[in-house]
Amino acid sequence: MIAIRDLQFSWTDGPFRLCIPTLEIARGEAAVLAGPSGCGKTTLLNLISGILPSSAGLVEVNGTDIARLSDAERRLFRLKNIGLVFQDFQLLDYLDVLGNVLLPCRIQPSVRLTPALRKRGLTLLQQVGLADFSQRSVTRLSQGERQRVALCRALLLNPQLLLADEPTGNLDPHNSRRMVELLLQESRRNGATLIMVTHDHSLLPMFDRTLPFEQYLAGKNAGDAGASP
Amino acid sequence: MNSALYLAVRSLWWHRRRSLAVVFSLAVIIWLPATLRIALNQFRTDISARAVSTPLVIGAPGSRIDLVMHSLYFRSQPAASVTMADYQLAAEATEAAAIPLHVRFSTRSQPGAESAPIVGTTPEYFHFRQLRPQSGELPALLGECVLGADYAVRSGLKAGDTVLSAPRNALNLAGEYPLLLLITGVLAKNYSPDDDAVFTDLRTAWVIEGIGHGHQTVDRQTDLTLLLPNDRENAASMTASMGILPYLEITDDNRDSFHFHGDTAEFPLTAILAVPAQERDRIKLLGRFSGSRQLQCISPPQVITELLSIVFRIEQLALLFTLTAAAAALLLLGLVLNLSLKLRAAEMQTMFRLGCSRLTILRLQSAEVLLLLLSATTVAVAGGLLVRNTAAALLQQLLL
Repeated sequence: MIAIRDLQFSWTDGPFRLCIPTLEIARGEAAVLAGPSGCGKTTLLNLISGILPSSAGLVEVNGTDIARLSDAERRLFRLKNIGLVFQDFQLLDYLDVLGNVLLPCRIQPSVRLTPALRKRGLTLLQQVGLADFSQRSVTRLSQGERQRVALCRALLLNPQLLLADEPTGNLDPHNSRRMVELLLQESRRNGATLIMVTHDHSLLPMFDRTLPFEQYLAGKNAGDAGASP
Repeated sequence: MNSALYLAVRSLWWHRRRSLAVVFSLAVIIWLPATLRIALNQFRTDISARAVSTPLVIGAPGSRIDLVMHSLYFRSQPAASVTMADYQLAAEATEAAAIPLHVRFSTRSQPGAESAPIVGTTPEYFHFRQLRPQSGELPALLGECVLGADYAVRSGLKAGDTVLSAPRNALNLAGEYPLLLLITGVLAKNYSPDDDAVFTDLRTAWVIEGIGHGHQTVDRQTDLTLLLPNDRENAASMTASMGILPYLEITDDNRDSFHFHGDTAEFPLTAILAVPAQERDRIKLLGRFSGSRQLQCISPPQVITELLSIVFRIEQLALLFTLTAAAAALLLLGLVLNLSLKLRAAEMQTMFRLGCSRLTILRLQSAEVLLLLLSATTVAVAGGLLVRNTAAALLQQLLL
């Protein structure tokens, strides 16, 4: 599913350097990237999703070399193939619950909102227990409910890869655990590969595999990496 | 609905207070110059139409603008009067139809309705201005009047009611008395200054001025105190004393007692409208009075054109001020929109990370700006059209 070879990335104005000689993650695998906040885990997710272009090396997602795609192609590829869950969920206040879930259908001309996708959005909400909240403003949801909306948005287009960037960062241990369970459950239900970033080591046993992130860092001060732009 | 439009509408609705503030500000920026332009155009159209429909005006020498404003709009008083003899002269000078005007008095103001000018004229005026009664009929007898449509609405008066004239000088006990006029009808709306006037016949106007009056019979049988002491015994003549009071209302019972003193030819008019049958007659009439020291004959369209050239200069100045203010307001608005975009940078970043195309981000932002502009323009144009007539009337009051 994901194949990385000789990947190198560094910020121009900092000591941070990421070097990954080889990394492979199989389809349907649930992997976790652990490490302290700001050590560069998000940067790796951004490289995999094509948000950031790599300095050198190969990043292949589902057989597609991300680096070979143009900016517009990368955006479209990301939308269609990768589901993203952010730390603070990044829901749009001015859209209701269903509107947020259906957002991916409104941001690319080539991805149209069809009745089937609307139905899928409602089904996803039903699966996470938010069927009755579809018309509710996201500002009136609890933190746990917002997580689930963000997850439904990430799963709407049936992505083969789910990237979750510290989705438990602001949660208490109980809710953190529930979020991870939900991510695992929904990614498995959708047959998606999952890579989650966390600094909470207690969650690691829930995943199939923990990626050795410390090995990928080549800078003299890995803790400064995330502070770079 | 188009996705960008959908997102823009939802965003604007969510931030509706801010959106309303922006729409209102933009609307004012658009509305001010637009309304000024619309109102001035309306004013120009109205004033030109009235002037064009009035070929010539004859009056006493003095301000040409005052004479035109007086004879067309019943505003401002000419410095001097003309007489019925002048009217006869004008009527005989050419084939022109001459219409006398006597506009010196107004109705007494009452709560909810300001006073209206009382226009003393002949039936030819109604024909000339195509004024027809919407209810009732035109005045036929002494002491009767007909109301302009707007004044009737403002005052709430109708046919059968009465309206009181207001003396110009309350201390002039020997001459002007308030006269109660019987309303015989209300004119159909004409969209002209005639809508705000009260029309009566010339003789009634002269009665209001005190030139004519009616009173009880003065003879030695009725009441000797109504005669001057020397005449009480003298059979040769009878002169009424100050004890006699004129009638303040003309009724069927006292109408016959009304009479005029003096030579009719010297009775005053304030202006004469002349309507030549042909262009040749118009030029002839203009030439006839061009050297006169007693009268002036002017062409209202010409005077109005001169007046409009002044208005045009004022308009340019007003537009300059408005556009300067608008430019400053637009700069502020740009700043607000810029700050708004910066506040939403995180949202745009999220969309980008999800895979949003550049075009969609541009469309989304453009759609919001366009919607705001469209709403503001709609509000401004609607507001401009709503106040067009009011603004034009206000301009007439300010400029004429």
